[in-house]
Amino acid sequence: MKEIAAKAMVKIEDLSVHFGETKAVEHVNLTVAPGEILGIVGESGSGKSVTALTLMGLVADSAKMISGRILFEDTVLAESGKPRDKALYRRFQGEQMTMVFQEPMTSLNPTKRVGAQVEEMLLLHTQLTREERYQKVCESFQAVGLKNPEKVYRAYPHQLSGGMRQRAMIAMATILHPKLIVADEPTTALDVTIQNQIIELLRKINQKEKNAMIFITHDLNLARRLCHRIAVMQNGHVVECRGTQEVFADPKEEYTRRLIEAVPSRMKPKIKIQRSNREPVAVVEHLNVYYHDGGGLLSRKSRQQVIRDADFTIYRGEVLGLVGESGCGKSTLSKALLGMNRDIEGEIRHFSTRPQMIFQDPYSSLNPCKTIEWLLTEPLRAAGEIDPAFKMSAADRRAEAHDMLRKVGLDEKYLDRRPSQLSGGQRQRISIGQALITKPGLVIADEPVSALDVTLQAQIMELMRRLQDEMHMAYLFISHDINVVYQMSDRIMVMKDGQIVEQGETEEIFRAPKDPYTQLLLQES
Amino acid sequence: MQYRMTKLIGKKLITLIMTLFLVSVAAFLAFQIIPGDVVNAILGTEATPEREAKLREELGLNDPPVVRYLHWIGGVLHGDLGRSYRYSKSMNEMLPVAELIGDKLPVTLWLAALAVFFIVVVSIPLGVFWAQGKSHFLDAFLNVLTQSVMAVPSFFLGILVTYLFGMVLKWFQPGGYVSYQKDFAGFLKYLVFPAISVAIPKIAMTARFLRNSMLTEKTSDYVRTAKSKGCTDRQVMYGHVLRNAMMPVVTFLGMIIAEIVAGSIVVEQVFGLPGVGRLLISSISNRDFPVVEILILYITAVVIVVYFLVDLLYRVIDPRIREM
Repeated sequence: MKEIAAKAMVKIEDLSVHFGETKAVEHVNLTVAPGEILGIVGESGSGKSVTALTLMGLVADSAKMISGRILFEDTVLAESGKPRDKALYRRFQGEQMTMVFQEPMTSLNPTKRVGAQVEEMLLLHTQLTREERYQKVCESFQAVGLKNPEKVYRAYPHQLSGGMRQRAMIAMATILHPKLIVADEPTTALDVTIQNQIIELLRKINQKEKNAMIFITHDLNLARRLCHRIAVMQNGHVVECRGTQEVFADPKEEYTRRLIEAVPSRMKPKIKIQRSNREPVAVVEHLNVYYHDGGGLLSRKSRQQVIRDADFTIYRGEVLGLVGESGCGKSTLSKALLGMNRDIEGEIRHFSTRPQMIFQDPYSSLNPCKTIEWLLTEPLRAAGEIDPAFKMSAADRRAEAHDMLRKVGLDEKYLDRRPSQLSGGQRQRISIGQALITKPGLVIADEPVSALDVTLQAQIMELMRRLQDEMHMAYLFISHDINVVYQMSDRIMVMKDGQIVEQGETEEIFRAPKDPYTQLLLQES
Repeated sequence: MQYRMTKLIGKKLITLIMTLFLVSVAAFLAFQIIPGDVVNAILGTEATPEREAKLREELGLNDPPVVRYLHWIGGVLHGDLGRSYRYSKSMNEMLPVAELIGDKLPVTLWLAALAVFFIVVVSIPLGVFWAQGKSHFLDAFLNVLTQSVMAVPSFFLGILVTYLFGMVLKWFQPGGYVSYQKDFAGFLKYLVFPAISVAIPKIAMTARFLRNSMLTEKTSDYVRTAKSKGCTDRQVMYGHVLRNAMMPVVTFLGMIIAEIVAGSIVVEQVFGLPGVGRLLISSISNRDFPVVEILILYITAVVIVVYFLVDLLYRVIDPRIREM
């Protein structure tokens, strides 16, 4: 510990950052040495990003540095009580320290060519000529494994895949060989297979360039694979900061232990439910789903096949998992099941009424203007329009909403609040309540926990299982994370490029995957 | 890309022609419905029935409406825009509409060009500067200033400009006008102040609009990326934010430009400029159908063409739209 501190290149000493009343970061001490990868792990709101952004001089202007200082080699970059020295920071930003962000699509300027955006680094910090700059950008693309660098140079961000965009971001961050690279959740927005490639790339860069790296993530497993040391953050405090092996072998803090346990894993025993009978709630036979592009008054439409020959049955009271990478057709399939896509061939038969849906993003899928009570009673009002069984008085609806709120683990004081006053986990509970209040036979959950932290993930998954025990509906549980699907599902379907390549009992598929794609998915995670 | 462009232009041309046709029918029908009679408008109410009947015959007003419309549109398709009922060239010859409008159009177009130039040149730097949010005082000041400028009616603004620059500073002769055929430089000089009157409220609107758009855009992730590279605030604003923030502003500018090119009626009136806007007003009250019909078609065409240019600008600004 002492040794590292002695040769530390970046020192964060007693840092506290507040946003008004909110204490985002409290008395944080961290150091990073050249060649070292420090992981900062914690749930969202734990202060890990604010710490990194403060270090980089990028934190919002509303942030106040209450105590401490930040040193880069021998320079004091920031000190409490002094306003941020933007000019001083600019001498380091880009040249000495760079950052890789979470969402490569939005972190790149959508209206500028990728090459020009990387080249801007050279324009700002070097005197190279136009040709030299071009040469150097292409070399940097090659170094991060982008084949065809000339093409990438000319492309706009939206023309590249997520993995390619993140590689371009890394090229941008490494082109001037900085002494410090901060990567803020660089793989969270990517598919598992791409995730691994990016992790390997970061490791390779660190080994070759011997620069200091800070890797921020909510996923302890990822940090374990890449980082030399791990700092665990909770509520703005660093609760634990030790070597990676030590943290995992013997977590000192209760919180760390909870984080390690919350990670969905195949090592843990599954929650088992007994399936009483094989009564189907939905049968899908030879389903092809098409998607339309364009189509105006004078332009021709193009029709693309998204789902090919899907064949499956969902039984009452079971959880059928659907796993695959983004863009494979998972969401299209769920929409077709709900009748939201009309251009289909084949057959979908429902044996239950009013199948419902739980969406991924609890932030944007709840109407922000409405109260929780209004949101919970809306499905009842809608159902009442078409089904006499659901015709009820406003008071009855309120009572139902009341019950539902308790079922999803919230108390009645939330009825009059609006979504913005709730946390992410609470909002997802409301989404679940909305889906279940009409007692549907089938609920389609499209990535319901992907936007949540690991500990919240575990809670929401447990809630979904418990409600299923009480209400006996079937779930079609969609996720890109095979470990999450493993935790939840009785049976699994694996989807690739619009085709279901494998389906069967969860344990069986995990023990002996038949399809090469399933094998790959299992290896990568 | 080439092919796509040709297709796009072709499509827009078809839309243009279809719209012009529908608008011409609508304008014709509207003229049948509104009360008032061109013969009375020309001869006054004291004329003898014989003279009225003769003029009616001469103007072809005794034909059924469909025939009159077909006659008129047939002429237009052959390049004959018809003759004004009201303005005459000599004692016995009515002034061709083409000549009449050809005389007034340059005034309106040059006024519009100058006004648009002022709007773009002033509002964009002002909006960018404002969005940087240097101080609260400046923010508040610009807020009050633009709001009050937007609230001032254009005739009053015209009077203020005339008073300040014409009467007090004596930079131009109020009410004066030199035709562009005689002295082009002098002509432009007379247009500068009307153009400023047209531009000022629009500058305030555009600057506010751009500022709001930039403030929204400033919270984007890519702005943080640009800062992490070591860009200065100015480099961030002009190099990254401006282009993305221009999308909604371009739509807004398109609306403004279409409005100005169609004729700034009030400002033309205040400054005594013989432009299209004034002609439209007088022709409507004179029931001078051939003139009104062509002016309406002109305005329609301007709006459609400007919106087409806005469409093209979108493609230049945002590469994602190019592929749609």
